[in-house]
Amino acid sequence: MDTSKPAIFVNGGLLPMHVQKRVRIVIQVLGSDRGAVIGKSTDDHQLTVKGTPPSVPLTNFVEVIGIADSEKSIQAEIWTNFGDTFDTYSYNQLCQLANGEYQLLFL
Amino acid sequence: MYRSSEFDGSAAAFMGGGFMPSQTTQLPDSSSSLLSSRNREARCLLALTVKQICELPSNDESNFVIDGVEVTNVTIVGRVCQKEDKASEYTFLVDDGTGQIECTRWVQERIDTDEAEGILVGKYVRVHGHLRGLQGRRFINVFSISLLLIRLRWIEQCWSDDIEFFAAAHIPCVSCGVYF
Repeated sequence: MDTSKPAIFVNGGLLPMHVQKRVRIVIQVLGSDRGAVIGKSTDDHQLTVKGTPPSVPLTNFVEVIGIADSEKSIQAEIWTNFGDTFDTYSYNQLCQLANGEYQLLFL
Repeated sequence: MYRSSEFDGSAAAFMGGGFMPSQTTQLPDSSSSLLSSRNREARCLLALTVKQICELPSNDESNFVIDGVEVTNVTIVGRVCQKEDKASEYTFLVDDGTGQIECTRWVQERIDTDEAEGILVGKYVRVHGHLRGLQGRRFINVFSISLLLIRLRWIEQCWSDDIEFFAAAHIPCVSCGVYF
């Protein structure tokens, strides 16, 4: 049992609140640039994800868990394919709830 | 709202939404009777985060309570970080983003072993089980552990290991938080 390393649910708009913290985010992969993956968050912010993606091809939506090293970039530790479609509205709602009035359930 | 007078071990017992405690637990003088009661009518399944589980108050490590409601069976959603295979049990370390908790699945029949064998490190799972405590630690004795597979109703798509409606899996935790 260990709660010392939480990964905070964030979207693009909430990422600036958690710089230098461990976060988890779902992005839509747009492409790559100089070894980093460029993606769009579920609230339409463009973000950069650094690190080594898995050997399997990335699907359209990917969850990334890692350290937010700036307001618009993440150093990824874990990549998980989430398929080609994803309910971005519900995910945004979850991020708002997890960082808002129900934060105590998550952080 | 899920209520069961007797758990029959079927995974179907955990299907459906609304993991909300029975309204019978809301009696004005319910707190002491609930704490001491082993009446199966009062048991319910609660969707909690690992953080909530770790912060549950307990006097004797066998009775967990959240706002006067006894917590016995819980369900969590998370990613399998570790998997340990012993002769008659599998132990999974599940991380839901708020923390990590050990989930132990005892296996006796082939169907149990097949279920556990299919759970791999890195996969997202839903766990249903009985909450236990020992020497300050909390862990889950698993009734059911399954890959998180949810069909997206509004598109033509088949079941796939890679399609996960992850957000919806966490909403019940928030619902329980609203209730309490």
